[in-house]
Amino acid sequence: MTSRHLLAIVALGQAVLFTALIILITLNRWFRLRRSAEQRPHKVALDHAMARWATGQIPVGTVVSGLGQLPTPLIVDELVTWSTKVSEDRWRELTSALQHPWWAKIIRSNSSSARWWKRLETARFLSVVAMPADTARVLRLLRDHHPAVHIAAAATLERVDNTALATAALERLPTLAPTVSAYYAGMLVRSRPFVVQQLLKLLGRTNDPALPRFAEFAARLKEPALRGPLTALGSHPDGEVRTQVARALGGYRHPESFPALATLAADSAWPVRAQAVRSLGILADPSSLPIVRVALRDAEWWVRLRAALALTRFGSAGRNALLEADIGPSANARQMAHLILGFSADALTEFAA
Amino acid sequence: MNSFYALLLVLSIPEIWTHTRLAEDHDFQRLLRSEALPPITILVPAYNEQATITTSITAALALEYRHYEVVVVNDGSRDETIDVLRHAFELYEIPRTYPEQIKTNSLRALYRSRTEPRLLVIDKDNGGKADALNAALNASRFPLVIAVDADTLIEPDALPRLTRPFLLGREIAAVGGTVRVANGCLVQKGRVVDARVPRHFLPGVQVVEYLRAFLFGRLGWNRLGGNLIISGAFGLFRKDHVLAIGGYQTSSLVEDLDLVVRLHRYLLGRKVPYEIPFIPDPVAWTEVPETMTVLARQRERWHRGLVAATWTYKGMLFNPKYGRVGMIAVPFYTFGEMLAPVVEVFGYIITAFGLSIGAVNVSFAGMFVLVAWGYGMLLSLWAVVLEEVSFRRYGRPGDLLRLLFYATLENFGYRQCTVWWRLRAFFSVWKYRHVWGDMTRRGFEAVRE
Repeated sequence: MTSRHLLAIVALGQAVLFTALIILITLNRWFRLRRSAEQRPHKVALDHAMARWATGQIPVGTVVSGLGQLPTPLIVDELVTWSTKVSEDRWRELTSALQHPWWAKIIRSNSSSARWWKRLETARFLSVVAMPADTARVLRLLRDHHPAVHIAAAATLERVDNTALATAALERLPTLAPTVSAYYAGMLVRSRPFVVQQLLKLLGRTNDPALPRFAEFAARLKEPALRGPLTALGSHPDGEVRTQVARALGGYRHPESFPALATLAADSAWPVRAQAVRSLGILADPSSLPIVRVALRDAEWWVRLRAALALTRFGSAGRNALLEADIGPSANARQMAHLILGFSADALTEFAA
Repeated sequence: MNSFYALLLVLSIPEIWTHTRLAEDHDFQRLLRSEALPPITILVPAYNEQATITTSITAALALEYRHYEVVVVNDGSRDETIDVLRHAFELYEIPRTYPEQIKTNSLRALYRSRTEPRLLVIDKDNGGKADALNAALNASRFPLVIAVDADTLIEPDALPRLTRPFLLGREIAAVGGTVRVANGCLVQKGRVVDARVPRHFLPGVQVVEYLRAFLFGRLGWNRLGGNLIISGAFGLFRKDHVLAIGGYQTSSLVEDLDLVVRLHRYLLGRKVPYEIPFIPDPVAWTEVPETMTVLARQRERWHRGLVAATWTYKGMLFNPKYGRVGMIAVPFYTFGEMLAPVVEVFGYIITAFGLSIGAVNVSFAGMFVLVAWGYGMLLSLWAVVLEEVSFRRYGRPGDLLRLLFYATLENFGYRQCTVWWRLRAFFSVWKYRHVWGDMTRRGFEAVRE
């Protein structure tokens, strides 16, 4: 075979592939349009049935059989969408009815599928229709290595109060990014009493490297029972733990919070001082005004900024403190006070957010 | 070169499958309500953008996102950009309240808006795009920053989509989204309400080019672990990392490539675990050049930047210390992307010379060139296939036909022009220190034919 023959074969191959791609594009579009045209009437009928069932006009069986007409991704989407629109007792009725259909059993069985998108589908399905019998499945999904799957499974906790699931969610906390941890906090609201009990134990493990994450999580809950253990961590050797404590105490207007924050406002680490001063501003107790005034002369720019913004929350006393600093002897304080006093109220609110 | 692109294409298939699955997850509403979304600062450098600035800033201020702010920097524009902003958003002057963490050219004034509390406008002396971005970076308050060109429209749900890797808990240093061509689309109140493929050849062929670059070029690099470009028009970065490397390099010709290479170098050098992924479903729309002159200038500038960057970071080339970035990505960009026009022109010259002295058979040479072009054509067509099976932004049959038409014709004439423009960059790279691409804007509302 000569090189000319080889080129001719390659050119022929290209022509075949080119034609195949054009056919693929055309068929793909045709199939997609046809499928959507087929599914649309079923979806419209189901939405209609859901609306009527939600107001008690038709039995739940009609909705279940309507769901059975749809492909799995659409079933899951429909359930997720309607779960926020239907009253809780009525939704419980549907949840019970969804234990028996064959398609629901298949979706449930996909919790151990090798394909992550199947497990994601199951996690989303169970996040709105999980029953006590599904605990083992949800537990498996919560421990799933794929982040999308365990995040979807965590949504189950928003509806189900189950200690095993809450424990599994808490176990994941140290490995979660702060953003995901915040998401978990929102999902764990229903299991709050149990979560608080668990956190009380976790905050006592002072040598645990995951302690900053637990403190951060505890701060998000703003639970009165956690204030004591959080305050006790104010002298922890890890600066990040102290920063989280300083942030958390801003959520507790309690007599013990002020001396703890006063100590933290004099901490050697500037992030701790900045956070403590910010929290003192949130609480805006007149007794802490002198501490914030001192912080306005701090060597670190961020601490001074937080102090100046905190002073704006103290009303006229804080404003007077800023005015005095504006003509005072400290150049640092003078500069910061001058900048903050130059803000309009709107800009200040926006900046201090 | 085309074979490497074919490899990227193969690698991009599982990536696009994954991202299509995640993008179809309708749980976004739940995430949008949660407090998990990290706050973001949108940095918008602007230079002579009076035609598009109001539309793009209005679009940026109408995004479906909970916590974000928009910092616009007028980099000493010679047109009416600052006056347009002043009137459109009722600006009033405020004092500066933040430290200058990165040195920039002098700030003339800072403005807040009476109507849009999220907006901060900085007016400064001209210093180039990187300098403007650094000024915006100094003023930003949030831990994530996204650099957006002033001629770019971000889709309303693009920010939550872009933050998805952060929500999935990965060690993300930066994320890139897709940039698509706005020319020909119907734009209303800063939103692309009807995506169309332009009827004119030049912007139309760029639609295919962008699809190819984003849908399988960058997705393929996700698998190879070496995304070197997060588009300057639409990329989300962790601010602490950007500040740690000193922000944007003012001396660089293409600040986006330069920033990402330096991020890789910094993070790999310190053994910090990180990822710089590209995700295809967050979309920003940009106006592309409609004349050969402007397009030539743009492509020459991009390639000048690539040449300068590969020279500046030559120490990373085949350096095992930088892992796959040093061993695969940088060599590819050096020998593949940067030298590609030289190799291609050399090939044309050798073929022509061979023909002239009778060393090469005419019909063989013709067939060889056609096969080489056919290869490129197939790759462009694959990009259209990926678009069709994944995101399907262009719904009309007419648009699909135009995409196929442009994908077919791209290799005949247009490709050779881009090769020539890129080749010229080698001669001008040492001459220019120009950092803003001059482009004549028509404005988004006027972009549709």
